[in-house]
Amino acid sequence: MLELRRVSKHFSGIAAVDQVSFSARPGEITGYLGPNGSGKSTTMKMITGLIEVTFGEILFEGREIHEDLIGDKRRMGYVPEEPNLYNHLSGAEYLTMVAQLRNLPWRASAERIDGLLRLFSLYDDRHAGISGYSKGMRQKILIAAALLHNPQLVLLDEPFSGLDVGSALMLRSLIQELANRGKVVLFSSHELDTVERICSRVVILHRGKVVADDTIERLRTLMELPTLEGIFSQLAVEQDTDAMARQIADLIHA
Amino acid sequence: MRWLARSRTSSMHNLICKFVDRLPLQFRVLYRQFLLRIVDLEALSIEADIPRFLGQFAGVLMMFSMINALGLLIHPPIDNIAYLVGMFWTVEQRMIFTMMLVVGLFAVISWDSIFPDRRDVMVLGPLPLTPHTILIAKMAASGAVMGLAVLALNFAVSCALSLLLGGFSRFLMILAAYLFTMIAASLFLYGSVLTVQGLMALLLPRRVFLRVSALLQIAAYGLFISVYFLEPTITSPSVFVLPASQRMLDWSPPYWFFALFNQLIGSLPPALSWLAQRAWMGLGIAVAGASISLLLCYLRTMRRIVEEPDLVPGAGGFHGAARFGGRLQNAIMLFSARSLTRSRQHRVAYAFALALVLAIVLSWIRDELSSTSLRPITVSFLISTFMMMGLAVFGLRSVFSLPISLTANWVWRITQLAPPEKYIAQTRRLLLLFAATPVWLVSACLALDFRPWSQIAGHLAVLAFFGWIFTELSLIDFYKVPFTCSYLPGKSNFQFVFWGFAVLFVLAVPCAEVELRALQHSYQYACIAASLGGVAVGLWAFNRQRARSALLSFEELPEEVITTLKLIQVRPSTVEDEPVGRLST
Repeated sequence: MLELRRVSKHFSGIAAVDQVSFSARPGEITGYLGPNGSGKSTTMKMITGLIEVTFGEILFEGREIHEDLIGDKRRMGYVPEEPNLYNHLSGAEYLTMVAQLRNLPWRASAERIDGLLRLFSLYDDRHAGISGYSKGMRQKILIAAALLHNPQLVLLDEPFSGLDVGSALMLRSLIQELANRGKVVLFSSHELDTVERICSRVVILHRGKVVADDTIERLRTLMELPTLEGIFSQLAVEQDTDAMARQIADLIHA
Repeated sequence: MRWLARSRTSSMHNLICKFVDRLPLQFRVLYRQFLLRIVDLEALSIEADIPRFLGQFAGVLMMFSMINALGLLIHPPIDNIAYLVGMFWTVEQRMIFTMMLVVGLFAVISWDSIFPDRRDVMVLGPLPLTPHTILIAKMAASGAVMGLAVLALNFAVSCALSLLLGGFSRFLMILAAYLFTMIAASLFLYGSVLTVQGLMALLLPRRVFLRVSALLQIAAYGLFISVYFLEPTITSPSVFVLPASQRMLDWSPPYWFFALFNQLIGSLPPALSWLAQRAWMGLGIAVAGASISLLLCYLRTMRRIVEEPDLVPGAGGFHGAARFGGRLQNAIMLFSARSLTRSRQHRVAYAFALALVLAIVLSWIRDELSSTSLRPITVSFLISTFMMMGLAVFGLRSVFSLPISLTANWVWRITQLAPPEKYIAQTRRLLLLFAATPVWLVSACLALDFRPWSQIAGHLAVLAFFGWIFTELSLIDFYKVPFTCSYLPGKSNFQFVFWGFAVLFVLAVPCAEVELRALQHSYQYACIAASLGGVAVGLWAFNRQRARSALLSFEELPEEVITTLKLIQVRPSTVEDEPVGRLST
């Protein structure tokens, strides 16, 4: 189980993440929601150890994650928010590099890479430079790299970004399949419809603080709202979106 | 008087402003953009501060100009006319060589920037702009930087030389002739480079052109540096007319422009007028060739760029088979080799060091070709090999500090499963493999011209120790995977590197003299070899020990310039806002 206890992150004294506490269990998909700048990606980066925690604790399987960061990295797969890859490498070269850095056996990793490239429909372009890849192709490379070593903890930061409909449907099923096989899945997304379909429970973040943490069913009952979109709008959206849209249209018309 | 000077300055400023305001707005906007991008952003750091870079560039040239001018002005009075002619000819030739080197380096650094690229086509294509507006704005930006280079490099020398050659009566005429020659030489060289690039862009398929262009950039770099170091200075008119000089003069554009300058000021011997004619012809061909090829490129290749496929298939096969040590070692090795060969920024940076190595090798080969017999090892050979080793190892170490893509570094941090000393050990191997070993092999080949064999073997052993020592010195406090750590511009500043190599050269001379003496006495040699071996092993052990407690660095943070009093301390708040429906576990 992944557990965050009163985790905070301050940048120049300003709290990007403010006393966030929640837990994600094996076999469950935990949706991590929030508007832009609410601290979702910062939380993900703290879990992976990419940035330091200012206050609080992050525990994986009951142990502080920084006690054995290398051991935890072995069991962790991470898809970052931005498709930041080495553009001078090809897709196959990048995955091979990640496999080698993860110390995976030569033959097994080569077979796994080939298999993943085929399943993600990247096999024909595996030797082309990543600089030429579309956003969706880059996203697939990131997902393949995150799953290459069969991680126990899967952190997905907006993994549907740039994917076409077919690939998105496949990824949705893949996330469910990973949870069914007992993995801890923390999944951040702006696609509330998908979150509503696949997540067991959601954590909603607003201005760095957790404003909701429960199953979607219970949140619906508690807030007396029929959809996750309604719940999210009430908890985390401050502007009147219709009024803003009218203002924009008026502005360009003037 | 002050009022008059101020009003003149003000009216000049107004005149320039009026002239600039009359230019079309589109041209002005594009010119400013291209001026900031005139330096190949791929070849330099991505976040390079171009105005600052240009300022430093001009500053170095001005310093060079001032030193040369002072050298001319403060020489003791000499009555020997032949000596004076020789001195002036030397200065004229060296300044033309230097001007052409500077323009050549500018052409390398601004490689491809004047040609339409995919980004320009995709960004500017949908806008209501004509191709010739883009072309003219790019040419104006290049012209502005070249003008800056010509003025900065020559402002002091041109005045000093004009004064000494013509006195006050002919000062302006000689100054004009000098500046014209420098501009003509610059246009010739830059135009020639653009003509070759333009022809290739027109004749080759775009994909092939991009690959060949990258290789050509490195070749041009090596060529300009080599020519600068290898070109002899001819100080006597009689040497010019020797049959042995004819072939060199035929293919040596700096001498054409030297003759052109002397023709313009009326001091060219009639026997050399053909050289000045060559300069005129070369200038005409280069300018016409560049203009036509650029125009055709903008008319023909812009559409081709849009139509080219987004995804370019690459060559496969190698990645699966290659293995260099363990998995981690293999990953670092392949990543470094690919970064070095595929990234233009890193290629050009390493080529700078290699071009100097090449210049040393070529100058050595030139000397060797002129000698016919086998001879004992000389001090100059020993110095050359030490310098080559230092340039290659420290040059590669500097290139390792330049990141290839900072945003993609997260993957190294996420996958850092091995202790840092393994990463650092692999960096050591890379320095030995890519820098020390090639230089050692080249030195071994050059040493074949010497005898006895025992001295050659002895020097190669010493050189190997020096390669190891340089590598270990490079690794002190270098706890990074090559090409992955952020680089703070200005940290390894150019002046520091320059003086570092100057010190290396100064140290190489006594080292070479000591070694040469030791090569003839086996006891002394054994002492020196043992000392070097001890130093190398000591440095290796020191680095290894420190690497055990080191942390791999992926981000260099600039030192804080604001000192905070830390009066406010952030603590977790004690008030808890209970979220909606917190699920009890």
